[in-house]
Amino acid sequence: MRPPIKLSVIVPFYNEQDSIGALHTAIVDAVAPLQIPFEMVFVDDGSKDQTLARAVELARKDHRIRVVQFRRNYGQTAAMAAGIEYARGEVLVTMDGDLQNDPADIEQFLRKIDAGYDVVVGWRHDRQDKLVSRKVPSVIANWLIGKVTGIPIKDNGCSLKAYRASVIKNIPLYSEMHRFIPAMASIAGTRIAEVKVRHHARRFGASKYGLSRIYKVLLDLMVIKTLTSFAARPLLWFAFLALPLFLIGTVALVYALTMSIVYHAATSLPIAGSGVIFLTSAFILFCSGALGELVYNLSGMREHDFARLTQRLDTRAAAAEIQAR
Amino acid sequence: MTERDAKVELSVIIPVGKRCANVRELYDEYVSGLESVRLTREFIFVLDGPHAQVLAELEQLISEGTANVVVVCLSRSFGESTALMAGLERAAGELILTLPAYHQIDGRDVAKLLTPLESADVAIGWRWPRSGGFLERARRAVFHGMVAWVTGMRLHDLGCGARAMRRRVLEELSLYGDQHRLLAVLADRKGFRVTEVALRQSDRDRFEGVYRPREYAHLVLDVFTVFFLVRFTKKPLRFFGMIGASMCGAGVLVVLYLVFGRLVFNRSLADRPALLLSSLLVVLGLQLFALGLLAELIIFTQARHLKDYQAAEIIQYPENSARQLPHESRTAAIS
Repeated sequence: MRPPIKLSVIVPFYNEQDSIGALHTAIVDAVAPLQIPFEMVFVDDGSKDQTLARAVELARKDHRIRVVQFRRNYGQTAAMAAGIEYARGEVLVTMDGDLQNDPADIEQFLRKIDAGYDVVVGWRHDRQDKLVSRKVPSVIANWLIGKVTGIPIKDNGCSLKAYRASVIKNIPLYSEMHRFIPAMASIAGTRIAEVKVRHHARRFGASKYGLSRIYKVLLDLMVIKTLTSFAARPLLWFAFLALPLFLIGTVALVYALTMSIVYHAATSLPIAGSGVIFLTSAFILFCSGALGELVYNLSGMREHDFARLTQRLDTRAAAAEIQAR
Repeated sequence: MTERDAKVELSVIIPVGKRCANVRELYDEYVSGLESVRLTREFIFVLDGPHAQVLAELEQLISEGTANVVVVCLSRSFGESTALMAGLERAAGELILTLPAYHQIDGRDVAKLLTPLESADVAIGWRWPRSGGFLERARRAVFHGMVAWVTGMRLHDLGCGARAMRRRVLEELSLYGDQHRLLAVLADRKGFRVTEVALRQSDRDRFEGVYRPREYAHLVLDVFTVFFLVRFTKKPLRFFGMIGASMCGAGVLVVLYLVFGRLVFNRSLADRPALLLSSLLVVLGLQLFALGLLAELIIFTQARHLKDYQAAEIIQYPENSARQLPHESRTAAIS
């Protein structure tokens, strides 16, 4: 019986045949001195080059490697999610396959997890990328994400992150959530820490996951806000969205009615009409919220399942309980 | 499972819908076409709704001692997708071959569909060379062009009912509604390898009459379904939100223009229908946006049942020759 694996290093690869060997060496050099049982999970995201062959070759020599092969390219979130699913360690560390992250940083991530944090996020404080096309949009996006989600993380885009496996394995990750994993994890009330990491310029290949369009980020933010804050109370959220429509509609209608009843002027059709439109719309939005309640109710997803992931017993009370027995 | 089931390697599923030929003749044609294939096979006829005559013919076939013919009768017409799934439930073979219930392809070519399955997961029939007038060919070209534009897959004949696939494909796709026509596209989305095989068209596959507007509506809806399923299943707000936000934006612009006219040029606001139009746009945009949010909520709450990816293999040495199938390790990961 081998000891349980303490650490899983998860790396998604997409056409990284040049860096996979170097990355493997770097990970082993960084983690082996820590004297803990660990494994590496290499996810091949449907690469078209020799990445998979080289990963399998490495796995043949180093039995701590587990290779997950995708049938085609599914994108980074899916690769991360698969890595998280098939990893067996207690602590999961994810990183990019392009050598921009430094495995030597893994040690400080582990220390943070041991200190009681559930999610540790890397911050590339000394980023080696182009200023205008990458750094500036990233600063704005991170500020906005922090504002909307209420989790002020300076660098959401850094792939080097560590998670407590019992928590992250139960957080739903899909579509393009990899940018928002800390925010998504916050639905379970995770304790999040941030550490500074080293960042290297690209040595091989070209950047694959480029800057996405602004509207996508904005829409995604809306989704994150809805899911993290209001998934369990959709009626409240939709009522909040309906409120401005309700106010505008009421004002327009009251105005039109006063004009015709009190001042006996001809009823203004456009104003009364738009008032009616806004009011009905507010009503339909409200009903959508009721539909949302139904969806959530039937889904079987409950907040206390998430809360349980990160809850801790008060040690004194627990000790007293044990003594009482 | 009986002993007979255990030995079947190839299950031929024939959904019998509205358009059906003499089954006896069709059966003989397919059997002779499959003669060269060295696989034990079974034939499953799924009668989609009452087909008294076909049933009588099949019963006669069985009573004559023809082995390995199964007939599944559905109480009403559910559509081809459901018929296929009903057939799959009875099928015992590892390979599934679906064939049309009328003379669509030349029966002698049926075996050609099975050859590519050594390297691919799905082989889709494609009638070639194909008859048809100019209008019909144009219609097909436009339809398949649109599908190619949306999916990036260059397909030629989605209407062909002859398809061969591994059992797993049909099990994972779990078709419903009109999805049988989109099987190639959906299988590709799941990461299965799809190829097309040119089959000779049957001499009797003649379409008489004119396509009704309904058929065209079907085609357009098919393309829309593909578009939505391929691009937006996991991110519905990208779809609804984009339309909603642009509508709402247009509405707000018109309102601003009206308000500007009222304040600066003192143009009367009340007697202009443009006010109605703009408030309609704003409201409609918000509704669409809300629909998108609702869709996101549905996806989120069902996320544990939806999987973005299919892992082909987990490779690890040296454990137990260590080639693990994904569904085996999946259960381990959940527990």
